Amino acid sequence: MNRYIKLVNFEISRFIKLYFVLIAITVISQVTGTIMISSQYVNSASEAIYQHGVSIEQFITERGLMSMFQVTASLWFLGPIALCIAALIFYTFFIWYRDWFAKNTFIYRLLMLPTARINIYLAKATSIFLLVLGLVALQLFLIPLLSTILKWIVPVDLRLDMSVTELIDSFFYLQIILPQSFVEFLIYYGIGFMVVFIVFTAILFERSFRLKGILLGGVYGILSIAIFTMPFFIFIDYLYPIELLAVETVLGLIVAAMSIWVSHYLLTKKVMV
Amino acid sequence: MIEIKEITKKFGRKKVLNGVSFTAEKGEITCIIGVNGVGKTTILNAIMNLTPVNSGQILINGEKIHKGSYENVTFIPDAMTMLPQMTISQAMEFMQDFYNTWNQKRASEILGFFKLKESDRISELSKGNKAKVNLLLGLAMDVDFILMDEPFSGIDIFSREQIAEVFTSHLIEDRGVIITTHEIGDIEHLIDKVVLLDQGVVLKEFNSEEMRETEGKSVVDVMREVFKA
Repeated sequence: MNRYIKLVNFEISRFIKLYFVLIAITVISQVTGTIMISSQYVNSASEAIYQHGVSIEQFITERGLMSMFQVTASLWFLGPIALCIAALIFYTFFIWYRDWFAKNTFIYRLLMLPTARINIYLAKATSIFLLVLGLVALQLFLIPLLSTILKWIVPVDLRLDMSVTELIDSFFYLQIILPQSFVEFLIYYGIGFMVVFIVFTAILFERSFRLKGILLGGVYGILSIAIFTMPFFIFIDYLYPIELLAVETVLGLIVAAMSIWVSHYLLTKKVMV
Repeated sequence: MIEIKEITKKFGRKKVLNGVSFTAEKGEITCIIGVNGVGKTTILNAIMNLTPVNSGQILINGEKIHKGSYENVTFIPDAMTMLPQMTISQAMEFMQDFYNTWNQKRASEILGFFKLKESDRISELSKGNKAKVNLLLGLAMDVDFILMDEPFSGIDIFSREQIAEVFTSHLIEDRGVIITTHEIGDIEHLIDKVVLLDQGVVLKEFNSEEMRETEGKSVVDVMREVFKA
């Protein structure tokens, strides 16, 4: 356990510089976006009201009230989120392959650690889990901050104040990133982490059997997804949504456990430096 | 004792090791000699379970390798195994964090012996100094067995002399060493046991001292005989 925690700490420290860059990009882009979009709105309101004599009511009828929705639907807001998601997807592969193919072959050191090799796998998965949750937490912190910035710039007559919950409810992408219930969290993030386990196992197939392993990894991935999605094709007409969710949760746990077990086998018996 | 029993390893259709057997005792230096590509590194990787074998058995002190074995056997590969951005001090901290058998006092001694600076970044070291850091990380552990893969490969003569000195020092005393090399010159007089390997097969296994005494032949003489035959 102690060595597992040390490994998690070590894995996170290896990504931390890039992680801070991603955080900086997110903060800068979203804050800048909020300032830009709010300022543009206020400028166009000023121009319409003071230069063209349009009444506030008429301007609001034509342009609508300014709210956080305009900010969250913009590229300034969604762009860095997409970048973070892309970076973490890339990192899911890179976290393994760099240990074999980087300038120094660190995989020698990892595999020779006096700890169960599955700890390497679990530490890498945990670090990805923590990095994702960190970015979600950042977003939860940033949304109220961006709302405050918007309130500083846009006068109360011209804006529609939205709570974080209302904002998330109004935008599908945000509902996925920031689930509002434990069940939603379980569905979105549970599926995400099950996929991470499957990808890790497929990578270990490739690292164990090389060219043949690509095929085996692909077959394993397809099989796992087939098992997980099977109830949607077989039971969809017979089960209530809550029953379907229960079945999916059990299957998700089975697929994740199977991935960990297969990876344990590959790491101890088959993997090659 | 490390026992290698009839191990076979195939990469695709190519048989790299074909029924290789030998033993390495604690307190002895066992040298696996062969030209490049005959399977020397594969044997060391197999001992450390870094390359699983297709058949045969490897025992360390009578047991199959398990996670605890890595506290008792250390492998010094040909390649640098620490991250390039690490300093030597960080690399030592990493070892200390994970291995109970890490001996910091000995690490400091080796650091001084090789004239390395703790603050030096691994990526900025010369090939010779990288080899010395690899040796430092392996030798500073209180283990029974040390495996070294081509420790003299591609490094300058002064570094080679310094590394060769290690073999006569107390850093090796009482431990079992398995070393692979195709450059026997620097350590010929220090070797206890020789395993001559060709095309994944052990051609000859002998005690170098006995060979000198009974047949008056050096390791190089036997190598010439066996490899030219």
